[in-house]
Amino acid sequence: MNVLYLILPLALVIVGGAVVAFAWSVRDGQLDDLDTPPRRMLDD
Amino acid sequence: MDTVLTSLPIAGASCAHCGLPAPRGDRFCCAGCETVYHALADGGLTGYYALADREARAAHTTDRSYAELDDAAFAKRHVRARADGLCETSLYLEDVRCGACVWLVERVPRLVDGVRDVRVDLGRGRADVVYDARTAPLSTVARAIDRLGHPVHPYRGVDRDLQRRREDRALLLKIAIAGAAAGNVMLMAAAIYAGVDGAMAIFFRWAAMIVAVPALTYAATPFWRGAIASLRAGRLHLDLPISIGIAAGLAWGVHDVLANRGEPYFDSLGMLVFLLLSARWLQARQARRAASAAEIVHALTPSRARRVAGSSMQDVPIEAIAIGDLIEARAGETIAVDGVIDTGASAVDAGLLTGEPRPVDVGPGDTVAAGAVNLAAPIRIRTTAAGEDTRVGRLAARLGELTATRPRITQLVDRIASRFVVVVLIAAAATIALWWHTGPEHAVSHAMALLVVTCPCALALATPLTFGIAIGRAARREILIKSHDALERLAARSTIVLDKTGTVTEGRMRVDGWLGADVAKDCAAVLERASVHPLARAIAADRPDAIGIATDVREDTGRGIAGRIDGVAVAVGSPRWIAARAELAEPIAEAIEHAAGQGATPVVVAIDGRACAVARLVDPIRKDARASIDHLRALGHDVELLSGDDPRVVAQVGAALGLPHDRCRGGATPEDKLAHVQALAAKTRTIMVGDGVNDAAALAAATAGIAVHGGAEASIDAADVFLRAPGLAPVVTVVDGARRSLATVRRCLRFSLAYNLTMGTLAIAGVVHPLLAAALMPASSLTVLACAARSRAFR
Repeated sequence: MNVLYLILPLALVIVGGAVVAFAWSVRDGQLDDLDTPPRRMLDD
Repeated sequence: MDTVLTSLPIAGASCAHCGLPAPRGDRFCCAGCETVYHALADGGLTGYYALADREARAAHTTDRSYAELDDAAFAKRHVRARADGLCETSLYLEDVRCGACVWLVERVPRLVDGVRDVRVDLGRGRADVVYDARTAPLSTVARAIDRLGHPVHPYRGVDRDLQRRREDRALLLKIAIAGAAAGNVMLMAAAIYAGVDGAMAIFFRWAAMIVAVPALTYAATPFWRGAIASLRAGRLHLDLPISIGIAAGLAWGVHDVLANRGEPYFDSLGMLVFLLLSARWLQARQARRAASAAEIVHALTPSRARRVAGSSMQDVPIEAIAIGDLIEARAGETIAVDGVIDTGASAVDAGLLTGEPRPVDVGPGDTVAAGAVNLAAPIRIRTTAAGEDTRVGRLAARLGELTATRPRITQLVDRIASRFVVVVLIAAAATIALWWHTGPEHAVSHAMALLVVTCPCALALATPLTFGIAIGRAARREILIKSHDALERLAARSTIVLDKTGTVTEGRMRVDGWLGADVAKDCAAVLERASVHPLARAIAADRPDAIGIATDVREDTGRGIAGRIDGVAVAVGSPRWIAARAELAEPIAEAIEHAAGQGATPVVVAIDGRACAVARLVDPIRKDARASIDHLRALGHDVELLSGDDPRVVAQVGAALGLPHDRCRGGATPEDKLAHVQALAAKTRTIMVGDGVNDAAALAAATAGIAVHGGAEASIDAADVFLRAPGLAPVVTVVDGARRSLATVRRCLRFSLAYNLTMGTLAIAGVVHPLLAAALMPASSLTVLACAARSRAFR
């Protein structure tokens, strides 16, 4: 069970990474328009 | 080019671009499609045809120069200079409706040198263009996009878009943080509930606290802000009990962790914040879609005018027009300035300004107002006021302040919230008093449990979820609801004030009846085909099968038209104009008198120097008007008619609609309308329904305003609801849907209050366990979600 002391902080670091990635995608404007990109992908 | 053509799937004689039937021997149905087809073929973009939805839709291009887009006044307002020397601007494109359109427009950089990037937003019809102004002036870019079948307009409201985008992004980030925290804390809580003990339990508690406290404190900022604002304003708002619940939960959770006993509430709190934020985002997104769709109509208003400079003419943006400039307005164009006619005679339709549907004849020396449509012939106008100084501009400028002073109704949830706070705080005090004998620590713990479990999560979800879903469904039925509280303002029984012209009636003249022989009617129809005057068009449209060829046609603009049909002299025109040319027999003169007395417009036909027929033209009542008004009255609303048109006409329309005489008012100026609606709104809930600029102020001053299909942009700006479908039936749908939505909200609220009562009682009894709270709090929210989704509003 002692491995939890290592795994839990590690899991939290990963979660932090995911939140930072999401924050970047929001700032980058990737979530501003949710209708056009799905079609653009099909057309290219 | 021929090879491309033959390789296309063309069935019979159908248009190579849009697939509509083409005239025999032609490859295209219209010039627009031909232009677009050649533009595609020349640019090597025929891949479009593989992508396009092949639903029949003729292309539409203009041959405008777009020179006004290169003007300095335009650039100053709409073009952003970038650090790398390029320019960036936003344009609104007409007819962007599928993925193929997006694909096509985004390939403009291949067609025009100097265009670096084009990004299209399908929902808004907005294109962001990055270009090099030195090699590609904006007019070149606009012409290229126009040739692809998408006429271009400047995109106004970029600032509002940016502001909304910032708000949306901030909310999304908070949702992400709350969601990540909630998910992870829940896993840790699961371990605690599963019964880990000793050092491991302490470790999990601390980990949950370290994740939850900062994340939730940040993510719940909207609630903290709302609570502080409500305390400052002295008006209790639902954010206050939510904040108290979250704060109590966080504080007591930290206390438990430090004291190393009890189970923290962090998991329930995380879920709660996540759900509340998500519901807010959903609601904001639905309302914004509707709002930006309404703004698109705004972007379509004329933004340019043709300025006469010496012997040449110049397209300039309206910002660049000064008082004294000479402006030309061609037939069919909207007049962009207030001014006096310098040369030319025509008829103008000022219906959106005055509420009078009949075209007004104008000549040199007459004044015309911005927003009126020039109908018959080109006129030149000496500008007396432009932009915000025009009468329309001044009206529009007042809208903001009127909307701000709109009589507020306290929202249902806020009324409940204000009592809720008081009850919960008293209950908490009572709990402490009740348990004081077992020790202060124990008593406070029970009170804290009470504050957490009664945090009105389901209560706060009910309104945004129900209204968010209703606004989304309404948008699919072509009803755009711009603000989320509008539904609540529309829900109660009200006085509904209907504008006449364009709202109850079609706003266009039609032939209502004839006196005279069929041959005279046919002669009139044949002759009137040569004219663009709206009365002439109405007569021509009344008898589309009339056969004959008119020769020697002379039109006296706005008065009448004369010519020969099969060698016989025929004249059609106003009674006075005909009277100067032909004799009026007794029955004809009587019919003219009769028509005028009823508020109809008479048009006389003279054949061979003798008046022999009279047409009565009226602005017909919409087909669904009577049924819709009856329906509204059956629902308990009081319906009134208010118009700028002649009182006699208004009384007659009111009688045809079954409205009592004292409910019909005519001859009202925009100022009268505003005063009337303000007086009504002070007494009772008032819903204004209108279409014109003359209604805009009244729309903004009413409890709720509905702008109908085909209205002026100022009215769409001022209203809470904008109908994209024609007729009065959507008004019934809106009012009925609002009532159903509010009924659903009430059902959700009753349920969540019952939940709070049960949990509160358990907490006071001291038997509530955090595990029970963790299970029931999301369960209550999910029930509200199901309840909101089941709503029958706007189905």
